[in-house]
This record gives sequence, C-alpha cells and structure tokens, in this order.
Amino acid sequence: MSFLTPLFLSLGLLAVPILILYMLKLRRREVEISSVMLWQMLLRDREANAPWQKLKRNLLLLLQLLLLAALIVALARPFLKVPTVASGTVVVLLDASASMNATDVEPNRFEVARAIARQLIDGLSADGKMSLILVGHQPEVLAPATGDKLDLKKALGQAKVSEGPADWEAALALASGTVRASSIENSTVVIISDGGLPANLPPLPGEVRYVPVGKSADNLSIEALSLRATDKGPQLFANVANYGDSDRVVILSFSSGGQLFNAQQLTVPAGKSTNVVLTDLSDDPAVYQARLSAPASANTSGPLDSFALDDTAWAVYQPPAAGRVLLISPKNIFLEQVLAALPGLESFRLTPGAPLPTDPFNLYVFDGVITDTLPAGDLLLVNPPPNSLFTVGGTFTNTALSQIAANDPLAKNLNWSNVHILKARQVTPPAWARVLVAADGGPLVFAGEVGGRRVVVFTFDLHDSDLPLQIAYPILMANLINYLAPSQAFSAPDGLRPGETLTLKPSGGDTVIAIEDPHGTRYAAQATVAGVLFADTHTLGVYTAFSNQSVLGSFAVNLFNPAESNIRPAPFIRIGRSDVTASAREETGQLEIWPWLAAIAFIVLLIEWWIYHRGPTLPAMSDWRGIFVRKKTLP
Amino acid sequence: MTALFDEKTLRKLDRLALVASQIRAGAMKGDRRSTKRGTSIEFADYRDYTRGDDLRRVDWNVYARLERPVIKLLEEEEDLAVHLLLDASRSMDYGPDEHHKFRYAQRLAAALGYIALAAGDRLTVTTLFAVNGQGGAGAGEQGSRQYGPARGRHHTLRLLHFLEELKTSGVTELDSSIRTYALAAKRPGLAFVISDLFSPSGYRDGLNQLQGRGYEVTLLHLLAPDELDPPLAGDLRLIDAETGDPQDITLDGGLRDLYRKRVESWRDEIEAYCVKRRVNYIPVTTDTKWDELVLYHLRRRGLVK
Repeated sequence: MSFLTPLFLSLGLLAVPILILYMLKLRRREVEISSVMLWQMLLRDREANAPWQKLKRNLLLLLQLLLLAALIVALARPFLKVPTVASGTVVVLLDASASMNATDVEPNRFEVARAIARQLIDGLSADGKMSLILVGHQPEVLAPATGDKLDLKKALGQAKVSEGPADWEAALALASGTVRASSIENSTVVIISDGGLPANLPPLPGEVRYVPVGKSADNLSIEALSLRATDKGPQLFANVANYGDSDRVVILSFSSGGQLFNAQQLTVPAGKSTNVVLTDLSDDPAVYQARLSAPASANTSGPLDSFALDDTAWAVYQPPAAGRVLLISPKNIFLEQVLAALPGLESFRLTPGAPLPTDPFNLYVFDGVITDTLPAGDLLLVNPPPNSLFTVGGTFTNTALSQIAANDPLAKNLNWSNVHILKARQVTPPAWARVLVAADGGPLVFAGEVGGRRVVVFTFDLHDSDLPLQIAYPILMANLINYLAPSQAFSAPDGLRPGETLTLKPSGGDTVIAIEDPHGTRYAAQATVAGVLFADTHTLGVYTAFSNQSVLGSFAVNLFNPAESNIRPAPFIRIGRSDVTASAREETGQLEIWPWLAAIAFIVLLIEWWIYHRGPTLPAMSDWRGIFVRKKTLP
Repeated sequence: MTALFDEKTLRKLDRLALVASQIRAGAMKGDRRSTKRGTSIEFADYRDYTRGDDLRRVDWNVYARLERPVIKLLEEEEDLAVHLLLDASRSMDYGPDEHHKFRYAQRLAAALGYIALAAGDRLTVTTLFAVNGQGGAGAGEQGSRQYGPARGRHHTLRLLHFLEELKTSGVTELDSSIRTYALAAKRPGLAFVISDLFSPSGYRDGLNQLQGRGYEVTLLHLLAPDELDPPLAGDLRLIDAETGDPQDITLDGGLRDLYRKRVESWRDEIEAYCVKRRVNYIPVTTDTKWDELVLYHLRRRGLVK
C-alpha cells in the first residue's frame, strides 16, 4: 500500500493531545447534596462493576485514537496497486456493433465490455485521463479526456449497443486525434471488442491494447432474403449460413403478412451455407418474413444460437409499378425514344383513329390528334387540335422565348435559349393551367390539373422545332413524365442495411412524408422536389412510408452482414501493420481506498457515541433528563 | 397567624386527635378514657395544686413537709405525653422551596403538635442534632432546642413561633441523640421522630432505647423527590452538606438506575426492621401535600383519628 499524499500522515501528532487529555485528572463538577451516605453505600455495592468503569474509559480512548487514525490515513489517500490493462492517458474504444449483442457471455457481450471498461476506469491513476469512444454506425465520444471517474462511469452507463455494423475507420481516426492532442508517449488505446474489424486499418499512434470479448462462434444466420419478379410471378430467395464449428439442423419458416405459409428443415454444414428458393408466390404486394428456429426435439431447448439479430429477415415485395403509357401518334420517333428511355415506363403505341383500348393506362400521349371523349388518366397533348379542355386558335410564328416559369419545378434547369420553333398553335391557356414556357405570340408549354387528371400541353409539333435535339428536351420530358406518371416514391427491392440512407421522391401534391420504424416511432419531413433523405435506419425490421395523401410503401432493414454474423471472437486484431493480441493485465493501476476508511471512521464514531451514553446497562427514557444538570445551590 | 399555617388549616386539624394504641393513657385530665375500670392506687406523679382540683386528692404528707399543696396523680390519670423529635441537621436543609425538607418537617411538627395541644396532650418538641460528634438533646445542651412540656390550646401560637425560628445546623447523629433523649425521659408516651435518617452511625440503637423506655415510636422518614431520583449526570464530585465529605462519581444512566433501586431497598430495609420492632414507619416524600399526609395517610394508618 502506498500513499498519494503521505504528508497528511504527520497529522498523527494530533494523537498526543488526545492522550494528554485522557491522562490528566478528570475535572469534576462539584455539586452539593444533602448526604453522600447513600452514594457511598451504592458505590460499595458496586465494587464488582469498577473494572467496567476503568475499561470503559480506556475503551473510549481507544476508539478516539482509532477514529483519528482512520481519518488521517484516509486523508493520506492510500492506494492499492491493482493490475490493469492501461494507465496514464487512455483512449477506450468500445465496440457497439451488432455482434456485441451476442449472449454467449452473460448477459451479453456489450455488458461484459462495459464491465471491462468500468474496471479500466477504476484502475485509472489519480492523474490519468481517459476518453471513451463508442464505436457504432458513427463513432460517438461518450466522455472527452477527463480524470473524473464518476463522470466516466456515468457516461459509460449511457452507452447503447447498436444493431448494425461499426465504422472502425472513423473511430480510429477519432482515437488518433485524441491521442495526438495529448501526449503520445504515455498514451494507450484500448480496444474492447469481439474482433470483426475490417482489414487495412490505418496505424494508431501510441500503444494499442486489445481486450477480447465473447467466447463462442456458434451462430446461424440468414445471409440473404430477396424477391425477384419473374414471368411466372415473384420468387423468394433465402440463404442460411452456419458460422459454427458443427453441422446444424435448423427450421426456416416463412410468413407473409403475419401468416405462416411455409417451413423447411435444413441441414447446414459447419462453415457453409444453404439456399432455399420459394416460387408460387402471389403477385400482390406483401411483406415476407423469414425466421430461423431450433427444431423441436427432445434434447434441444432454449434459443437457437447466441446471436439473435440475424435469425430473422424481412423482404418487401412491390410489384413493378408499371407506369403504363399509351402513345397515340402517327409516327414520332422523338416521343417513342424518350418514352422508352425513361425508367419505370411501359409504353404502348396506338395508331390514330383506332379506338382506345379498354385497359386503363396511367398516361395517354396524344400527338397531333385527340379523341372526342378524353380517357381517364393523365394526358400529354402535343400539337393538339381543338378539344374540350381548352380553345385552340390558329397558328403563330412569333415563337421567340419571352418567358420561362423558372420557379416552377417542372421547368427546373430548363434552358430554352437555343430552341427554335417554326410555328405553334394559338391556345388560350385555361384557368387551371400554369404556363411553363411562353413566347411573344402565345404559350408554348403549359401544365395543370383538371377533372382529376394532370394535363401537359405542347402547343407546337415537335417536328416543327429543334427542341428534341437540345439538352432541354430530355430534362423537360423527364420532369413532365415524372409529374404525369410518377414512378415509385422509392426503390429498395433488396432492403437496406442498418445505417444506409434512402431517398424518397414525393409525387406532386405531397407536402409531408412520414416514415414509421419497426418500433412505431414516426419521423416526418417536409417533402421537397429533391426528395427526402431518410437515415434513421438503425433498427432492424420493416419500415412504412406515408405521405399526407397515401401510403408510399414499405421497405425492410436487415443485418445481412457476414462480418457481424461471424461472431467468432478474434484472438488478435490487425491495426496498421501490427497484430495486437489480447493484453494481459500487465500494467499496474491505482485503486484508492479512502472511501472505505471514511466509512470505518464514521462507524467508529457511532460506536463511541453509543458506548459513552449507554454505560453498562440500558438507560430508561427518563434518564435523558440527566443530560441537563442543575447545580444545587444553598437556598 | 404565622406563615406556617393559616386559620383554615388549623380548623381542619381541630377535630383530630392522636392515637396511642400501645400505651395506656390517663383517664382524667387528658379527656381520655382508659381501658381499665376502677382506679389503681399506683402512684405516678405529683402536681401543684390549682384552683378547682379535688381536695380529696391532695397529698397531706407532702403538704405537711413542704407547706405546699400538691395533687397526687395516679397511673390512669396520666395524660398522653407526645414527644416530637425533629431532625435539624444540615442534611435536612435540602430541596427547592416547595419541597424543602426542613420546612416540611416544621409543618409536620406543627400539625402534630397542634393536634396534641388541641386534644389536651402533654407536648414536648425537641430538635435532634449533634455538635462535635457528640449527640445531645434536651434543654440546656448547646444548640439543641426544646419546647415544652406544654398542655393546652393556648400554647399554639408560641409553639408555631418556636418551630418557625428553628434553623438547621450540625451533623445527624441520630443514634446518640435519640439515646440521650430516651435516657433523660421522664414521661414516656408517643414519640414521633421526623428525620431523613441520613445518619451513618445508624438509628436502630436509638429507637431501641426509646422503645425500651416505653415509648410508642412512629418514624416519619422524610425525603425530597430529588433525593429519590437525582437529576444529575456526568463526572461529578458530590459534597456532603453536613460533613463536607467529597465523593467522586461518574454518573450515567446505569448508575442512576442503580441508585434509585438502592434507595428503594434502603427504605424497604428500614420498613422491615420497623415492622419487626413494632415501630410505625411512614415513608414521606416532600412532594406529598402535608395535609394529605396528616388527614389521610396518618389517619389511615391509625395514628390519628
């Protein structure tokens, strides 16, 4: 045992006055009473108890000296040398990746790591400083360089494990920065993890120590679950991997919309994986869930493996949203090509004059022609003849650009300066329309909504202009088609990994987009034309997206990470060019014990008080009167 | 009236009389009846002749010799002699005003004395104390005071004055003082010893002597409430009020408990001894109202009627 502030031990000299006070004759207060006869009789009777009195006095002296000793030693701050992993300036990297959820050590790996970090805090020397960094999807600094053990422990208590992979590069960069900010010579970086670090990590300054967590590699996981649309309907593909050292029999069950519809028993050899393909699935949009469970037999019970996050997977099937477009046109190569080029469109051609097919289409493109009864659906009218929606006059040739509605999202990034148009039809723009491009003679392009349909009108024939040869053409057409036949708000056919972002495109009319996570928490954002970026994909499960008008769809977030599913604890990790093996407790830290001494001092104080007041027998309550002594005086 | 009593109180005492259960009392002058019928010829005492006495009772031989008429008193004609022995040592000077022991003793003596005078008994009041370790009592001894013998109600005022002027001094030496008194006895009768019994030399010999002389003894043991349950604590040096002897003591809850028990057992001892010797023992604490003591307790014990 050594002392941090040994000078305080000189306070032991205070024991001398205490002893002197005890050795001096006890000063007694004089009280005159009527007769001492009875007292003398009493004391004679009490001869037997005299030793207790002497003993009591000495006992009190002893207790007071003990109290003084405890307080002085506590002030001198004694400490025990305890073996610890690091001392001095320490940066602790705490692995919070998904594999730390494994329960092969009680209660789970992350809690064990937390306990190890706590021990490191305890063993920190009095002048040491520690930083705590939680390595999750993004590295998070739990506590900056501080020597306050209480603060460190509190910050440690708030750390949470994640369900996704960890970003080690960013964490190591953060650690390097912290080490460089203090002194490199005396710094140690301690990595508490179960391995699974990526290869090619940059080297760290200072000393690196590694504390491994976890002990078993036994894990079965669903490595992949995806849906493919084929001619015969959607197909579900699943892949189950066995990371353990022994072959395992497992049951893979499939449910759709909460209903179990298929279950198969698989034998997965050690270190290998098995595929399962399901066909004959319905074409409706559905949420599929696959689950691994242990086969119910006599001698197996309990959980399947110690890592449960990869035992369930989800896949969302959204049939390809056929944006069906019907082009009614004599022959227009420009329109045909642009419709074929834009994604998410299924285009059909109809010769003018032929009756409209009864199948509904999302978008009808009328090129130079029009039908009497307009079909229900959005309309793109190019060079329209007179019709029921608006009045069409003669032609005009003054087609120099006079105005572009630059603020309109449909005319965004539109550069009309190089476009030349021969002639255009004179159209009075109706009240429901907004003009996107206007010339001096009249509007060239306008759009709007009427009768429950969206309508876009080009007042000129595309062959009469060089618009299709300009860059403006595909930009404008993409905007317009998107407005008229919106594709899906988002596309995530294979789901996402935790931490990945998703962009959701609103369709016209959506003002707010909200996403509900598997726990039911809602995230809402304003819908802008650029779309909404959603990044809170940290929980595994099925997410649903809404707009203020409709349900936009669902998507799944799965782990699907072989590095995390392989929970085998690594005996060493590779940082830079060196392999860091698990550290023994080779350094010595300091464990201060003054709190214990203070507690002992307090208890001794209580005992002393008790003995002083109690005496050899239990006092009655009325005896407390005696504390207030009245001196007897002669009347 | 004096500070000791007021008229109302005295009136209450008027109707009381002291009871002597063990000794016989004279029949005539004390207004007391004797249990015996008929007269005995036993000569007891002479008394000066006063007007109104029966001429047949005059002893002519003495008249012939001394030329002074005296009346012969026979045994049954004796009146009851009441002796009040008051402990006036320094230890009695204790207690707060309302519980002061000596004051209480004075009152008690006054009450008993008045009852005796009102009933026509022959009252003698004496203080007991010792000087220089020598017990003494009776008139003429240095410091000891005596009143009486006196008979008749007209002595009341003088009795009260006498009692009021008494002061405490000296050391309690009950044994020797009582013994001296007993030996000097002329007319044994009822004896009331009012004391706190804080006498290291004891009291038993004295009481024995008194009884041996024919006295019927009642012991009124006076103690202040603070003496039964002292409100003291800590490291003390107790000084004896009489002798000045110091006693070092460290008083805590346990010791006080023991002291209380010791006082109780001390009283019990005295009581047991008194019962054995047919001495009436009345333990009195000075916070008992004195009229309650006289009118109730003493009456209950059959000492007063």
